Amino acid sequence: MAVIITTNYGKFTIELYADKAPKTVENFLSYVNSGFYTNTIFHRVIDGFMIQGGGFEPGMKQKATKDNVENEAKNGLKNEPYTLAMARTSDPHSASSQFFVNVKSNSFLDYPGQDGWGYCVFGKVTEGMEVVDKIRAVKTSRTGMHADVPAEDVVIEKAEVV
Amino acid sequence: MEAQPRTVALFISDLHLQEAMPRTLQAFLAFLRGPARQAQQLYVLGDLFEYWAGDDDMAAPFNTRIVQALRAVSDAGVALYWIAGNRDFLIGPAFAAATGAVLLPDPYVADIGGQSMILAHGDAQCTDDAGYMAFRSEVRQPAWQAAFLARSLAERKAIIASMRQGSREAQRSKSNQIMDVNGAAITALFDSTGAGVMIHGHTHRPALHVTHSSDIERRRYVLPDWDLDSEAPHGGWIVLDAKGVLHRLDHNAVEFEVSTGP
Repeated sequence: MAVIITTNYGKFTIELYADKAPKTVENFLSYVNSGFYTNTIFHRVIDGFMIQGGGFEPGMKQKATKDNVENEAKNGLKNEPYTLAMARTSDPHSASSQFFVNVKSNSFLDYPGQDGWGYCVFGKVTEGMEVVDKIRAVKTSRTGMHADVPAEDVVIEKAEVV
Repeated sequence: MEAQPRTVALFISDLHLQEAMPRTLQAFLAFLRGPARQAQQLYVLGDLFEYWAGDDDMAAPFNTRIVQALRAVSDAGVALYWIAGNRDFLIGPAFAAATGAVLLPDPYVADIGGQSMILAHGDAQCTDDAGYMAFRSEVRQPAWQAAFLARSLAERKAIIASMRQGSREAQRSKSNQIMDVNGAAITALFDSTGAGVMIHGHTHRPALHVTHSSDIERRRYVLPDWDLDSEAPHGGWIVLDAKGVLHRLDHNAVEFEVSTGP
């Protein structure tokens, strides 16, 4: 099962691990298939750490999401470079639409992590890693309450299952 | 109805309590009667008072009221801890005895609910403010304090009043750059203790700063100052809940926007 994410910096393909993170992948696909990710941005980009998106429209307008998904981080998968994981708050089961792509090995996010739960890895970029590398390098600044926001929007134009 | 698990700890600072700000005092007293009673521990991290001339000033009605309110919190079984601020560093053993507070050094590495946390007022990390750092090193010396406290209370209050005016004038000319903590000073404090969490006040720039380097996550929580008497009322505290999670609340106990992401 794969998804292509098309951005204004190019496209990248994600392979999803439905066997290792079934609820997380089902949740992610529901946002993909409903077109939710269209015109959302990568709003939090930290080079050397990760790029995060799927929750805000340009102008930092937060989109309303569906019910949260259970934390499936205890699945043996690791936050290795170019893997995808779900973003969440300090509530372990608060993941909804936001996800991030690790740009290096972030093992401290692996289950059990810093808080006994970790961040659930559910996929990996298999093609288009150079696009992720372009995104990670964009200039960022602080806007209001949000830090590490790209100065020029990194937009998800489309997300589709292939 | 299920009983709420008791809050492990609350952290508060920078109330700058003074007679000219009655609503702020009321809000603080309400906090002591309400949320503070639900906690096992209450940490006051400096500048509770706008100024403190010495423990003999506890007799002033304004101060007595506050001391009694803190005493009531201790008597209710809440462990009360205190770190001096740049305004109330003359708080001493008599105040501690009267309130039941334990005076802590600055910085202090606490083990709270199994987590190692650095607690500080924050003024000692504003190392770009050379003038203040020189002042601080002088007035934190026991010999300086003993000499100052040997003066009459009236004399001390007069000196403090003129220092406060000087501070206001100095603030107007200092750039924002000077008045925030210095990054290297913060890093050094984290490095020297090995703790992953720091809570401080002083800068009046409430925030949560998270950094990741070499796979170590460091979280620096900055407490808000309180002012319920101006046109932009603000205040708040930090909660360590029974699950070990830290929350930043405003003065109405509403949680500040929670950040999403690693």
